[in-house]
Formats: sequence, C-alpha cells, structure tokens
Amino acid sequence: MKIAIASGKGGVGKSMLSSALAMLMSEEKKILALDCDVDAPDMGIWLGHKGYDKKEPISTSVKARIDSKKCINCGKCSEVCEFGAIKSDGSRPKAEDYLCEGCGACEYFCPENAITLEEVQNGEIRFKETRHGFSLVTGLLLPGSTCSGKIVAEIKKRVKNEKYDVMVIDCPAGTGCPVIAAINDCDYIVMVCEPTPSAFSDLKRIQKSVSHFGIGHGIVINKCGLNPRMEKEIEKWAGNRLLGRLSFDKKVFKAVSELTPILESKSEVANEIKELFPKIKSKVLKK
Amino acid sequence: MEQIAVTGGKGGTGKSTFAVLLALKLSKKQRIVLCDADVGCPNDHLILGKDLKNEKTIEAEFPEIDAEKCTKCGKCVGECRANALFMVPGKPPRLLKDLCNNCALCWKICPEKAIKPVMEECGKSYETLINENLWLVTGEATGRPEQAAEVVKTTKERAMEKAEKGDALLIIDTAAGTHCDVIHALEGTKKAYIVTEPTPLGEWDSELMVGVLEKLKIRPLFVINRAGVSDDKGIRKLAERSKAKIEHEIPYSEEIAKAYSEGKLYNLNIL
Repeated sequence: MKIAIASGKGGVGKSMLSSALAMLMSEEKKILALDCDVDAPDMGIWLGHKGYDKKEPISTSVKARIDSKKCINCGKCSEVCEFGAIKSDGSRPKAEDYLCEGCGACEYFCPENAITLEEVQNGEIRFKETRHGFSLVTGLLLPGSTCSGKIVAEIKKRVKNEKYDVMVIDCPAGTGCPVIAAINDCDYIVMVCEPTPSAFSDLKRIQKSVSHFGIGHGIVINKCGLNPRMEKEIEKWAGNRLLGRLSFDKKVFKAVSELTPILESKSEVANEIKELFPKIKSKVLKK
Repeated sequence: MEQIAVTGGKGGTGKSTFAVLLALKLSKKQRIVLCDADVGCPNDHLILGKDLKNEKTIEAEFPEIDAEKCTKCGKCVGECRANALFMVPGKPPRLLKDLCNNCALCWKICPEKAIKPVMEECGKSYETLINENLWLVTGEATGRPEQAAEVVKTTKERAMEKAEKGDALLIIDTAAGTHCDVIHALEGTKKAYIVTEPTPLGEWDSELMVGVLEKLKIRPLFVINRAGVSDDKGIRKLAERSKAKIEHEIPYSEEIAKAYSEGKLYNLNIL
C-alpha cells in the first residue's frame, strides 16, 4: 500500500502532513516513510531529525566527456546537440553537465571518437531510523545535477525489498518529472491546498495528473482562516473528496524551527490532523 | 540586456510574491519584463490579478516512423539512450513518448530516412501587459513533464526578445526545487535572489540552491521572507558562508498572508 502527499504549489504543508500521517499510522501499521522531494527533502526535519545514519550514492545520469587530445575542434558535436550543452571557448568544446541530457548524439557523430558518455553520480539515497519506530528513506538530487525523476524512480527501486504495510510518500512541489515518478504507482493521494488563488490553481493542475493515473484522492485544506470565501470555493470543488481542514497557525513555524514534529507541538493543527486521520485511514486501509 | 532570477529551492517561501513586488516597484522607474518560468504551476498573473493574453503554442519534435520505408534494422532502438524506442517483432519500432527527450538522434541516423520529426504541443506562452512599463511573459507546460524544460527555454526566449526590444530589465521567476526546469530558467543570469524563510526547511533548501548557483556561476543574493517568525541565525550564517548579501527582509505579517490569499498583494507597499 502506497500513499502519497502532493500539492502542486510548494509550502502548503505537504511535508508537515506526510510526517504526521506516517507517525499516526505507525501506531497500527509498519510504516516506511519515503521522501521523494529530491530537490528539497524536508520530511526528516518535520520528523524531528537533522542528519542521517547512512548515505549511498545514486547514478542515474550519463554525461558527455570530450577527450581534448583526440578532439580536432570540428564543431560537429555542438551542431548535433539539441540541448545547447556543448559550448566552445573558441579553441576547444566543453560539455556543460547541467545542460547535457546524455543522449549520445555527440558521441555518435564525433568523427574522431573523442567523445564518450560517462556515468556520473547525480544523487544520494539516505537512511534514518527515526525515533518514531519506523525508517525514513530520502532521495537527494545533488545541486546542479539533472534527472530528478530518475532519482525518484531509483529510490523506489532500492526500497522494493523493505518490509512495510504502508509506504508514506512526500512529493516535490510542482507537476514535473519527479512528481509524476513519485505518484505513478500509488494507491491513494492526499492533496494539500491552502486558500490562495495560486494554491487552488495548482491543486487543479496536480489533480489532472493524478486523475490521469486513475488514482483515488482526497483533499486537505491547510491554513484555514486566511480567506473563508476561498475556503468555501475549494470545499465546493472538492465535494465529497474533502478530508478535512487545518488552521492557519503561526505556531507551526515555531514547531519546525525547534525540530518538533507537528503532532508533538502545541499548535491546534496537531489535534486537527488527529481528527481528520480516521478519514484517511479508512481510505487507505480498506484497500 | 540585464537579467536577474528569483529562486529559492523550497516551495512556498514567496518567490513569486517577491518577483512580482520587485517587478512592480522597479517598473516605476524603468521598463521591466517579468518571466514566469514556473511552467508547471505558473501563478504570477494570479498574484497580479490578470488574465493571460497573447497565447502562443510551444511545440516539441517527436519521431514518426514511416512503416513502409522502415527495414526494421533496429539501429534507432540501439542508439536511443532514453529507451523511448523498442522493437516489436515483425513491426517497425514503437515509440514511448513519455520517455522521449527529443534529442533528434533517431531521425538523424536512420539509414533509410524512415524517421521524420513531427511537431506536437508541449506548452503555451503568453504575453500580458501589466502596466505601461511592465510586461509579464508566462510559460505553461501542457504536455509531458519531460518537455517542461523545453517550455521554460522557449518562454525565456520570448521574454528575452521582449526585453531586448524594449530595452527592459528581465526578471525571471523560477519553479521550486533545483531540477532541470529551474536550471534552464537560471541559465545565463549573473545574479539570483534566493527567497527563503528563517526555518530549518528554508535554511537547508537554500543551501542546496547555493550549490546550484555556484555550479552555474551565478551570484546569490538573499531575501528573508517571514522575517521574525523564528530565529534567523542559520540563514545569516549561510549567507555569510556563501558571501551573499541579504538584500531584503520581509517581515512575517498576517496582513501580507491575507492579501496574498485574496489576490490583492499588489496593493501593498512591502519592498
């Protein structure tokens, strides 16, 4: 059973909610928490941890390497590169890793066989035994690296043999490759929104992706109290998919700053999450 | 033409808010083109309370295989590193569009010239007049996520052209995170604002962003949003370590949060 927490817009409360759901569910089930927000993995912080027990490298990316001894500076490589990744300083071409897609066109067309594709480390997988009695596995895209979607796919592959009843997945913001890779094999998605025009617009975008995969989903409105009119509008749109509402509360910032998981904090949001939890549990456990 | 990026790593720290407010402020004195390069979730127009105008379609090239010309030699399948082409017994190779990264290698190498590129929509760009000195150029991905970077590139080209013609300053608002879409939005700029908040989340995510900017040789500047919400020592240390100036501090305020939620942020004089 896999459940993901997604939103489209960033900063609406995905990591806060996913960490709380993992903690609540762990009272009855064996949980594996998977932080797929490889661009900005924050689930660990919300679980009250900084640092990990173990890190391993991930390589899901290949990059062009030009042998300057063989290169005759003919310019063919930059001509066939569709990504503008090969730039010349006038004398020698150089492949910029952050633009190279590793397609191999330059390698294929180089008349001097001066180009090879080299596997590079673009990410990391990190493990933490949390103090809540379950493991957290986190993916990280190394800064300036590419192929974030493939890193998400790779961390999912590496935890395949782990034993768990429910995997709780924290998604990245947006609707791009890493998000799709995070949600594509899930059984249920909790979508988090806040009552702002941007978050509502992004909620509809992520909902479109989720529906494309035909995955059941529910909606949590966070930061309630900011704009009651907008909250009503989102509630109406959500209909019977509405799972619950969480309040806008400054204490949330205090909690995370002190590395206090939201459920252990003094914020009213803690109780509100506990209140909506049975609804999510019934969706997840009936499957 | 001068260009500045607004980025941050973490989502919801106020990137778009800051980009919009900066564009509005600077547009009182000079011409500005604001480029919304968060093509997965473009929101600058919502903050500005405007409908998008002047729509243009953005297309990407996909291979199409001519079954009559194809001799099923398998060369394209063998060379496709994205594994987007696979052999089907007795038939021409099949394309899995979701995996294709539009590298064009297959149609360049097909010995029978049986593969040709066909255009397919992957996004849209818009050009919206905000005030006499400010244009908003917005990108929106409508196709597969693999093509989002293409939408960023094409939207940025449109914005750069607009800025160049109008002798305007280009402000680029990126998506959250550090993935390809963000890198393409940042590429070519000399300085970038990292909009962050004084929490461990903001701290950790902006540290990753500092790493990206270093690789791209872009000078970082910090904007601390929701200042005062908790201790900002960590962010200040990070700024010091990365030799970045803290250019703006926007105080935590429920008034700002409410104005944002009502789509009326542009009324406030914050910066």
